Amino acid sequence: VARKGACRRGGMEAAELRVGFVGAGRMASGLARGLLGAGKVPASSILASAPSDKNLDAWRESGCRTTHCNLEVLQESTLVFLATKPHVLPGVLQEIRPAVGPHHIVVSLAAGVTLQTLQRLLPAGTKVLRLMPNLPCVVQAGAMVFARGSGAGDREAALLKSLLSSCGLCEEVPESYINIHTGLSGSGVAYVYLFAEALAEGAVKMGMPGGLASRIAAQTLLGAAKMMLETGEHPAKLRGDVCTPGGTTIHALHQLEKGALRATVMNAVEAATNRACDVAED
Amino acid sequence: AGVLAAHKITASSPDTDLPTVSGLRKMGVNFTVSNKDTVKNSDVLFLAVKPPIIPFILEEVGPDIEPRHIVVSCAAGVTINSIEKKLSTFCPTPKVIRCMTNTPVIVREGATVYATGTHADVEDGKLLEQLMASVGFCTEVEEDLIDAVTGLSGSGPAYAFTALDALADGGVKMGLPRRLAVRLGAQALLGAAKMLLESEQHPGQLKDNVCSPGGATIHALHFLESGGFRSLLINAVEASCIRTRELQYLADQEKISPAAIKKTLLDKVKLESPSLSLASASKVSLFNNKSHSSKKN
Repeated sequence: VARKGACRRGGMEAAELRVGFVGAGRMASGLARGLLGAGKVPASSILASAPSDKNLDAWRESGCRTTHCNLEVLQESTLVFLATKPHVLPGVLQEIRPAVGPHHIVVSLAAGVTLQTLQRLLPAGTKVLRLMPNLPCVVQAGAMVFARGSGAGDREAALLKSLLSSCGLCEEVPESYINIHTGLSGSGVAYVYLFAEALAEGAVKMGMPGGLASRIAAQTLLGAAKMMLETGEHPAKLRGDVCTPGGTTIHALHQLEKGALRATVMNAVEAATNRACDVAED
Repeated sequence: AGVLAAHKITASSPDTDLPTVSGLRKMGVNFTVSNKDTVKNSDVLFLAVKPPIIPFILEEVGPDIEPRHIVVSCAAGVTINSIEKKLSTFCPTPKVIRCMTNTPVIVREGATVYATGTHADVEDGKLLEQLMASVGFCTEVEEDLIDAVTGLSGSGPAYAFTALDALADGGVKMGLPRRLAVRLGAQALLGAAKMLLESEQHPGQLKDNVCSPGGATIHALHFLESGGFRSLLINAVEASCIRTRELQYLADQEKISPAAIKKTLLDKVKLESPSLSLASASKVSLFNNKSHSSKKN
């Protein structure tokens, strides 16, 4: 009981914050690892629940506490991440609903489950937010967007943003952008892996060993991305800066244009976004 | 552009029936059928004949070239070196400038580059630049870039006309009357080009500025990208540049038999006017032998 009191009074301070994860899969552990890695929350303040021990071993190894009881997560934590598979979530919400109170901040990671649905299945006025992260949160280089429900205010949004900035870029957006984020960055990570693989294969074809080619490909992407983020310059301008007249780069770019790479990428983002919308309606 | 008084310009052509000839006459330009007269009355001599004819013109007017003359060749693929070589038999240090321009000089929005030859001074280049800047953009380049310029801005207006024709078709398909569609398409390209020239921003950024999220323009651009629009344009510039180089190479190899040309010219000349000098008759292949000139003030 004393703990709960502490939660209500001082639970908003990151240092005293008790963070819970309902569901302990890849995305949840990615976020947790980010929070831990940045030192935002001590491992002892993190409690994760899952039906079996399969995923929980890794959490325990990091010093987090684990349980098989979802209700316990609600009872012990202020900030609760719902990280189950989307089709399981409605059932979980029914289960935890009795334990959800006005002090809780509930953040759903479930793809395709709208704020409207979440708010319908939780007590009225619950502070609900919806988060769409991406995998590189694990290495603190994620891209995350979140949208707030009607019960969540500026304090909750600011807290979430502050915590999750430890995992990468975190921006608040209107809910309608969340599916676009999926197409751009959630799935987008896979597009980059594909591109990196192809770069490396090109190098292998030209005679470079695969391992080395892979590492260089990854560093190339990292470096280019870093330049974009740090200079703030338009990518078209950065591209031009690399192209000496008649040089190697412009020859290569011509090949990419011939292959209509740009349109193909646009198609990919569109397809993933549309799929996210379709899935949401199911 | 008011840079030159018409009476200070002399032009010559063997074929007086060409519509361009009467056009020049109407402007008040001095017209003659004698290339030699043109050279004598000029300080800056523009050689505006088709490339295969250049060697013959140079042979013809070579003896009349004096140290004061600046010979400006606009002939695609004809190198400074080849002109200097031909003229050196007549004149030890001929001033040669090679230039590449494009058709919109007609409306004073030309794109011109020039490269100066061995004996042309900085001032000679500047004089040409001054003249050509009056009809658009003009800048000096290294001669080895001129083929690329041909591919881009030499042929460029043709790409634009093709685009405009198609844009107008798009407009017509969606219900616009043709004339209005053409007008609007041309104005759109004109406006965009002007924005780019007057802006510090990258064209990519300017494009972004037009594309509201989920809007009409980005949908349209997706179609352009799907069709490989960008690569088509790159291909076009490349093809034009490469072809220019090929033609230059062919010319250097002197693939066109001088004897063959001389014979047909000779025949033509005999038909029209026995008193004309040999190299100036060229109706056979639509060649327009025309030179502008100006007196230094």
